[in-house]
Amino acid sequence: MKSTLVDNKINMNGSSLNGQKTEVKIAYIDNVAYEIKDGETILSFVKRNFGKDLVPTLCDAPNLDPFGSCRVCSVDVALQENGPAKAQASCHTPVMAGSYIYPSSDRIQKLRKNIVELVLTDHPLDCLTCEVNNNCELQEVAAKVGIRDVRYPEGKNHLDRKKDLSHPYMTSDMSKCINCFRCVRACDEVQGQFVLSMAGRGFDSHIVKGSEVSFKESDCVSCGACAQACPTSAISDVFESKSIAKAETTRTICTYCGVGCNLEVATVNGKVKSIQAPIDAEVNKGHTCLKGRFAFSFYNHPERLKTPLIRKNGELVPASWDEAYEYIAKELTRIKTDFGPDYIAGISSARCTNEENYLMQKFIRVVIGTNNIDSCARVCHSPTALGMQRAFGTGAATNSIIDLKYTDCIMVIGANPTDGHPVTGAKLKQFAMKGTSIVIDPRRTEMAKYATYHLQLKPGTNVAMMNMLLYYIISEGLADKGFIEERTEGYEDFKNQILANDIDELSRITGVDKELARKAAMAYASAKNAMSFHGLGVTEHSQGTYTVMLIADLAMITGNIGRRGVGVNPLRGQNNVQGAADMGCQPHQGAGYYDLTNPDYQKMYDDFYQTDMPKHIGYKIPQMYDASLNNKLKALWLMGEDNVQTDPNTNHVKAALGNLDLLVVQEIFMTETAKMAHVVLPAASFLEKSGTFTNGERRIQRVNKVVEPIEGTKPDGQIVVEIMNKMGYPQAPYAPDTMLEEISKIVPFFAGVKWDELGENGKQWPVLPDGSDTEILHIDSFKRGKGKFHNADWKESQELVTNGKEFPYIITTNRELEHYNCGTMTRRTKNAEILTEDVLLINPIDAAKHLINEGDMVCVESARGKIDVKARITDEVLPGILSSTFHFPEIRMNDITSSVTDSDALCPEYKVVAVNIRKSKGKYKLEKV
Amino acid sequence: MGRKLLLEHAKVPGIRHIDTYIQHGGYRSVHKALKTMTPDEVVEEVKKSGLRGRGGAGFPTGMKWSFLAKPEGIPRYLVCNADESEPGTFKDRYLMEYLPHLLIEGMITSSYALGANTSYIYIRGEYRWVYTILVEAIAEAYAKGYLGKNILGSGFNFDLYVQPGGGAYICGEETALLESLEGKRGNPRMKPPFPAIKGLWQSPTVVNNVETIAAVVPIVNEGGDEYAKIGIGKSTGTKLISACGNIKNSGVYEIDLGLPVDEFLNSDEYCGGVANGKRLKAVIPGGSSVPIVPAGLFYKNIKGEDRLMSYESLSDGGFASGTMMGSGGFIVYDEDQCIVRNTWNLARFYNHESCGQCSPCREGTGWLVKVLDKIEHGKGATMADIDLLWDIQRRIEGNTICPLGDAAAWPVAAAIRHFRDEFEWHIKNPQLAQSKNYGLVKETVYQTV
Repeated sequence: MKSTLVDNKINMNGSSLNGQKTEVKIAYIDNVAYEIKDGETILSFVKRNFGKDLVPTLCDAPNLDPFGSCRVCSVDVALQENGPAKAQASCHTPVMAGSYIYPSSDRIQKLRKNIVELVLTDHPLDCLTCEVNNNCELQEVAAKVGIRDVRYPEGKNHLDRKKDLSHPYMTSDMSKCINCFRCVRACDEVQGQFVLSMAGRGFDSHIVKGSEVSFKESDCVSCGACAQACPTSAISDVFESKSIAKAETTRTICTYCGVGCNLEVATVNGKVKSIQAPIDAEVNKGHTCLKGRFAFSFYNHPERLKTPLIRKNGELVPASWDEAYEYIAKELTRIKTDFGPDYIAGISSARCTNEENYLMQKFIRVVIGTNNIDSCARVCHSPTALGMQRAFGTGAATNSIIDLKYTDCIMVIGANPTDGHPVTGAKLKQFAMKGTSIVIDPRRTEMAKYATYHLQLKPGTNVAMMNMLLYYIISEGLADKGFIEERTEGYEDFKNQILANDIDELSRITGVDKELARKAAMAYASAKNAMSFHGLGVTEHSQGTYTVMLIADLAMITGNIGRRGVGVNPLRGQNNVQGAADMGCQPHQGAGYYDLTNPDYQKMYDDFYQTDMPKHIGYKIPQMYDASLNNKLKALWLMGEDNVQTDPNTNHVKAALGNLDLLVVQEIFMTETAKMAHVVLPAASFLEKSGTFTNGERRIQRVNKVVEPIEGTKPDGQIVVEIMNKMGYPQAPYAPDTMLEEISKIVPFFAGVKWDELGENGKQWPVLPDGSDTEILHIDSFKRGKGKFHNADWKESQELVTNGKEFPYIITTNRELEHYNCGTMTRRTKNAEILTEDVLLINPIDAAKHLINEGDMVCVESARGKIDVKARITDEVLPGILSSTFHFPEIRMNDITSSVTDSDALCPEYKVVAVNIRKSKGKYKLEKV
Repeated sequence: MGRKLLLEHAKVPGIRHIDTYIQHGGYRSVHKALKTMTPDEVVEEVKKSGLRGRGGAGFPTGMKWSFLAKPEGIPRYLVCNADESEPGTFKDRYLMEYLPHLLIEGMITSSYALGANTSYIYIRGEYRWVYTILVEAIAEAYAKGYLGKNILGSGFNFDLYVQPGGGAYICGEETALLESLEGKRGNPRMKPPFPAIKGLWQSPTVVNNVETIAAVVPIVNEGGDEYAKIGIGKSTGTKLISACGNIKNSGVYEIDLGLPVDEFLNSDEYCGGVANGKRLKAVIPGGSSVPIVPAGLFYKNIKGEDRLMSYESLSDGGFASGTMMGSGGFIVYDEDQCIVRNTWNLARFYNHESCGQCSPCREGTGWLVKVLDKIEHGKGATMADIDLLWDIQRRIEGNTICPLGDAAAWPVAAAIRHFRDEFEWHIKNPQLAQSKNYGLVKETVYQTV
């Protein structure tokens, strides 16, 4: 690109100037002209034209802002060809039109060499024994600039600094530090934790953690961003992640949450050595949390199940796969013949791949012949899917996480993303530190601490809270009339119903100040682009579906739908909870969300599967338990789910499972549920199989097998295939490419999904037949045509109506960063050394009332049962409100949770449980595990 | 004797207090500006005056003010850089200590001109007693209605705060100062963006030196044209010079720019000549970071013309044979002073004050000290060490985010440039150099490396 005048050239703002000649900005590199792109630095300009290796850098890192401190990237810049030049740091200096850049002049080469030589005077030259030998950026740059010796005599140095090996994962050896600030910036800019900083001045400057404490003592959240950013081995981790050459890595997707981080997994001799985050991953750009990066050692834990088990005389005893299949097939056939297919049910797993979920529902529907298929989406985001389907026609996130770059206001409702979705959480936190943010949560979460407005409502009053916001948006005249008119229906009735609310009453119900609610409503409504995010604090309530519909109302009434930086964005919990529902693991909709009661779709499914498909809606998970207790269900197949520990009201669940004739559990560990099974089938973990996961922004990404399955185990998909075969159905062996081919024929939004074309960053559905994907939904119209306004009035949870008097406290359950769900995986890693127990968050006023001190055991009692848990006194919760986690099943938190569910989607109400507390007498005190 | 626009009443008893200050014509500029002038008219007067930044760089103040971005709905700030830490410079301390209200008056008038409703004086942490003086003076100004809401009924609201620094020279660099003022570690920021676009709290900000802001007072009172009549060429007005070293009368002097250096150094009205009848060896006329010049090049430039105390005349000849006006820290060396020792001493200062952000400065200033220490203390230096010194300073100069790198490099460069034989003598006579000084330069050495 050497000409300076181009016809009809797209100008810098991207708009075309009709027919006018527009001047293209150019600059010269070694006297050759190149076009400048808007906002480019000299470094990015040179890199774009000459690749990344022409200009060496030390303090620059691809996911950090330019910093300009190492000066190794200096280039000569002149105003005329071969004119007098000035050395400028290319990483942060904007490229000036018409300037002449000499990236490798003799003077510059000498300068770079001298700078690196100076840096090396205070760096140990023990490369051969260094962890990052051959993977060290300093080494690389030193070689590139041609350092052969260091001219400086021995002087004062920092080579005797002590290593910090205090932390289960993070390590540091500051004698290797070159003061490039990359770790400090990673901690600030990527994670937003501000743990690392530079102390001292000049030669004495040195990196410190917190107030000069160890990693272990600091507030480090072990995300590892600093270690990945460090160009030497000054900060690293116990897995020596940086010692790995690119050739030994496999790219796959994290199995933990719905963010869907890409991971680069290094293997040595068929074993996983370490995990890094790829910089070019669209989802996580070189970032992960400690679960994704470090909590992988569960995969070859000695407790992995390695052989099928069959219950004989009350004991689970090892058996061969054939014996197990034989047993299962016989029992299923017996039950199907004696009672009918509806006496059999399956629960699929949002931890497994799309292909496996698809197979599971196919097995239940086609081979067994019932719609009794559900998945763990039931206990998390089923109200989201239902509520958003009712409002928009599609139950998935309308936008993408990248839209945070384009939004002006975020609203986070009932979600704790810095713990639950750490990578997205970090992005939300970064936004909250700079922009307008509204957090609606009963707890003062980390997000709430950064929020512009924190509406700290009473648990179970989401509907009333949403009504307050909607009331003020309407009464302050901030409704987007144009959008409402053009894109929605049902507004007039809705408006009148909202305005009929008694705002003082709503304020009393929620406990949120009217003025604060008004300000927050105005901030959301008057932002140019506003995005909402919600989590289980919205869905796991008796009015979960209604709250989701009201969140949709908020987006529609303010016109925040259908473009960049807006929308309704559920933070999906598990890695593939979106996919499990997409694949049809729900009793009322088949693969692709077709209504099973609609004759047209019934025929379509009959034709596709070439069989008479079941026609009536099956059981949702809670209904399965009830059916079992009423002898209406005889067999249950669980794929990768520990319902005993994770579903509410444990005693009820146990009774239901105990009443079955056949309980089959596919698992990787002997869970509480597996212990009750008649047959246990050892499955492979995500590192041992291929397939796809769909993250919370509808992105279908490739999971690639990193290591062979541990001996004795099989991928869940293969197990389902084999049992299908055993039962006489000819299903081809499990392979993601052929499975996706079948899925793409029945799931319309997978139409263009092909295994080979997904690439490293996947595709966001709907994927059209031509393979193009979709970042934003509902741009011109809603899936259902017009968006529909739904009103809902607040109703007290049945749990509080029934038990509120006797049990005056409300306990709400939440998550901690370090652990995932009931900890089956994370507790078999060193994460368990970082967070060692569940605690009860209790307000100081309540603690004082019950003479409870920090660390005392507290007996928490509900109408179902009682548990003992250690008190942590904090103002994170208001008086009358308690909070705890169920990562440590020995606490048995779900002994006290209730069987109340969402009225429409039957998602359990984990978030509102009426309890009473007292200082524990010790009777229920548990042995420390 | 020149006019005293700033220090005229410095020695009036009680002038620190607002009543006395007002009796001596204080706060007239506030009345004039707020009641009779628009902000733009004030800026115009400052432009006309030709006032240049008195902190060291000498950038035209009016032009700097006109760069200030004025986006709708975003506050603007004026920050007074009172973090005077350059060795040899103590003029701002003197001004604030004796005439706190002159600075406050300048801050009000300047902030009015810039449309800033909140401004800050960032004062060197070691100037604790001056901080107290300023805090008291500000309280008086609030009480008199010169600060606060609706000043003099003009509708102009203005709050002024003083923030003491934490003891780092680097915080005198304007972007490091802003970082520190925001409560962060005082590391300089990359430019662009410049403070005029994104300064304090990411808002448009002007950072001016104490003396610059004080000079706005006479400019507004007398008019920019009147002010511009003083001085010579583009060096208009008066300048405070803090003189120290081997002279008879150390102290702070207000001079008309354009005063011959000979007169300033030797007349009894100012420095009174080199003390104790010694001969002049060298001068650093603008604070420790500007190039040191030998006596011959001090009195006359390389063309043989008399040097004047002006921005242009002092820098005549560039770094090869000239120096800089700088901050006006005028340091005089007599024949008994050792240039190597002095250079080593200055290098130690800059090494101590380097923030550690940029590798050339962090490592380079350390090596300057190590090599100079070797030469000064006879620890086996060789002639190659002089070249090494030259190499290190070349790597630092112009290759750092902020000018501290330059400030550290220049004194070393100038010392080698003009006094190379003295360095060589040290290396050749390591023992002798411990007890004896080299003395005066035999002949003026002009090296234009």
